Amino acid sequence: MNTIRLQRFFSRQSYVISLILLIVVVAVNYSFQNNLFELRIINNNLRTMMPLMILAVGQAIVVIGGGVDLSVGTMVSMINTLLVTWITPESTGGEIALAFALVCGIGILGGALNGFAVAFLRLQPIVTTYATSFIFSGIALLVLPRPGGSLPRDLVTFYRSTPLDLPLGLYVIGVLILFWIVLRSTRYAQYLFAIGSSSDAAYATGVPVRSVRVTTYVWSGLFAALAGIALTLSTGSGQANIGDDMTLNSVVAVVLGGIALRGGGGNAIGAVIGVIILGVIRNIIFFAEVPTWSQTLVNALVILAALAAPGVIRLIRRLIQR
Amino acid sequence: MGSSPPNRLPDSWAACKTMALTLSARSLVKRYGGVIALRDGSLEIQSGEVVALVGANGSGKSTLSKIITGAVVPNGGHLLLDGTPIQFPNPQAARKRGIAVVYQELSLIPDMTVAENIWLSHEPLRFGIAVNRGAMRDRTQALLDLFAGTISPKLQPDTPVTALPPDERQVVEIVKAISSDPRLIILDEATASLDTNQVNRLFELVKTWKEAGKAVIIITHRMEEIFRVADKATVLRSGESVGTVTIANTDEKTIVGMMIEGAVTPEQIRIPTTALESHVRLDVKRLNGGRLRNVSFTLHDGELLGLGGLQGQGQVDLLLALFGLIPHSGEVILNGKSVHFRHPADAMKQQVAYVPGDRGTEGLLFIRSIFENMQLPSWRKYGIVHRRHAARKDALASAADLQMVYASLDDPVSSLSGGNAQKVVIGKWLLRQPKLLLLGDPTKGVDVGAKGEFYALLRQLTEAGTAILFYSSDDSELLGLCSRVLVFHEGGIRTELSGENLTRANLVAASMGTAHEHD
Repeated sequence: MNTIRLQRFFSRQSYVISLILLIVVVAVNYSFQNNLFELRIINNNLRTMMPLMILAVGQAIVVIGGGVDLSVGTMVSMINTLLVTWITPESTGGEIALAFALVCGIGILGGALNGFAVAFLRLQPIVTTYATSFIFSGIALLVLPRPGGSLPRDLVTFYRSTPLDLPLGLYVIGVLILFWIVLRSTRYAQYLFAIGSSSDAAYATGVPVRSVRVTTYVWSGLFAALAGIALTLSTGSGQANIGDDMTLNSVVAVVLGGIALRGGGGNAIGAVIGVIILGVIRNIIFFAEVPTWSQTLVNALVILAALAAPGVIRLIRRLIQR
Repeated sequence: MGSSPPNRLPDSWAACKTMALTLSARSLVKRYGGVIALRDGSLEIQSGEVVALVGANGSGKSTLSKIITGAVVPNGGHLLLDGTPIQFPNPQAARKRGIAVVYQELSLIPDMTVAENIWLSHEPLRFGIAVNRGAMRDRTQALLDLFAGTISPKLQPDTPVTALPPDERQVVEIVKAISSDPRLIILDEATASLDTNQVNRLFELVKTWKEAGKAVIIITHRMEEIFRVADKATVLRSGESVGTVTIANTDEKTIVGMMIEGAVTPEQIRIPTTALESHVRLDVKRLNGGRLRNVSFTLHDGELLGLGGLQGQGQVDLLLALFGLIPHSGEVILNGKSVHFRHPADAMKQQVAYVPGDRGTEGLLFIRSIFENMQLPSWRKYGIVHRRHAARKDALASAADLQMVYASLDDPVSSLSGGNAQKVVIGKWLLRQPKLLLLGDPTKGVDVGAKGEFYALLRQLTEAGTAILFYSSDDSELLGLCSRVLVFHEGGIRTELSGENLTRANLVAASMGTAHEHD
């Protein structure tokens, strides 16, 4: 009975190992940077992590549903170029709201395009979304050939604000967690896990496999738009390849968050934790005064070690049992 | 849909009568390309009836049941539900009309819990949106209680399906089918992996379903079960419904007779029985593994020994075990030496070859060339620096032996017809000159002409002294080719037929698990 409970707990709370990993990296970071827990520092850190956090939650939904979305990064770039073109320092609140709504719609459309190609044309998710990623980066280049643009000052200040003396990032994390809890409680979530785990069995049971598969990409499109808004507010300007690097980071965050790439398992909150782990590792490398030219290499090695941790733990456990 | 069935508790549906149902299938036809799987499928059933669907391999019983469940769309004929014509485009549509099926090939999602699986796509909801996990758990418990005493305490609503043994997964599968309170339940080989207590409980439940006004279609490979629960049996033969009998007024012999009546026995090209005096190539004692239960037999050089019975009774597992593809226990004596193969490479070293029935997944690299495919198992023979010319010469000779029709050895295998592709699979093993050849339903999906050539090849091989273990799902083939056939039933050898006992009636009777009848 207890073993079943425990088994169930670990299968549901797949991010337990990620949480342990998070505590470890935060502790290491603290040893290098003693003011880590000051409000200002937390606010700064969360602010840089926020766009990727939002993006990773969308990626998590796709991965749980048995796919992967390699177009999210360039979609963020495209949204960024559109926003800085539509919003000028003189824009009114109404115009800004309209621009935000429009880019969300575009994100949903882009996601629907991916979903349609994967679910109805039966193309491989990796190939499809890699191909569509060039559509989005192409549009971004057309919209904004040269970096530039600027936003109203209020908007940028809002992104740096700390309502009720708490960093804005914490609110965003709260909203993301709440979103996941609500989503997890719906029938839709049952479908999502079912198609990710075994789409044939799900089909035989009457799950509308194709429509659910399309919606997973729609979610990631919408979250890419939201991440694009966050990134634009964070930088205050536009650049046609600004989000391109975020694609693979979102996948890595998903894996660090304990979500299996084969689909059908995991928890989107894990992806948020994964993003924080990635950010903290970057911090550590900066404060450990790793020479500039070695930083990329060291960063890569540390991430690899973090990714390998669960596998290594399993390996050790099996060796002990023998 | 305010008071839709899933929101009722299971005890309540047992008490109250289900809405009445009549279903009739009339002259249903299903073609797959040029192959006719179902020529004239007919079946009548109504509430309170248990109808058994009976037939030999390839008789079309699974196609007929798949049309009724919406898994297959027919090419012709009519399906009438409650008197009105209907066609189900998918399984969901059939389920909405109250038709549920218990699959043998499991339809469970491994990563989800028992409760989540049972209620998938009809979860009890709160506020019309949130899944009511409490209710889901309670109702699952109530359904599982139907099998109380026959399942382990580990089987709980919250247990992940991956943690369950096959019999309990099957129980979950049954419970899942009845969770939607269907009017018609189809049990497709649902008892195959259940133990005796669970089967007894299931049949008690079938009786209560009958009383509650449900209709049940049962497909089983156990004749005995048909006589235990069914009211009627509809018999299919080569894609046609040949009649329906009332169980109370019939016996096993009549049903077997209907299953085989009028079927043509193919031209006899039996391999001479003198082989039995030759050297013993293979001696198997009490082999277990996969579905196999205590399988013992001997195979002589130059003998073509048939493996018969309904599909999935352990024949393929025997071939896989002998080729080292599945773990097994027991004694295997090959050419006088005791062997235990753990890997196909071990078996290949001892000149054993295996030709699988499923060319696509096990036999061939489709996009690679004929040449590459043929020399794949023998590459060692041609040295580390590949002696391509020698290899090519052998491949050409082998292709000529097999009378293969192809443009060039460098063409991809995907350019060949089914029969010729199968020859590549065999050809690649013949290059190794095997002493023991394991054939797993090799003529499945092969056209008639290619079959004839294939039979001639088998004859050549046996004449050359190759020992062949030949599993076929086509009874005619076994009757026509083999002088000795082992009939498998539930993982064991039910009986061995040879000489004048090797008749279609005995083969079919044994494959349904009934007593061996001497004529």
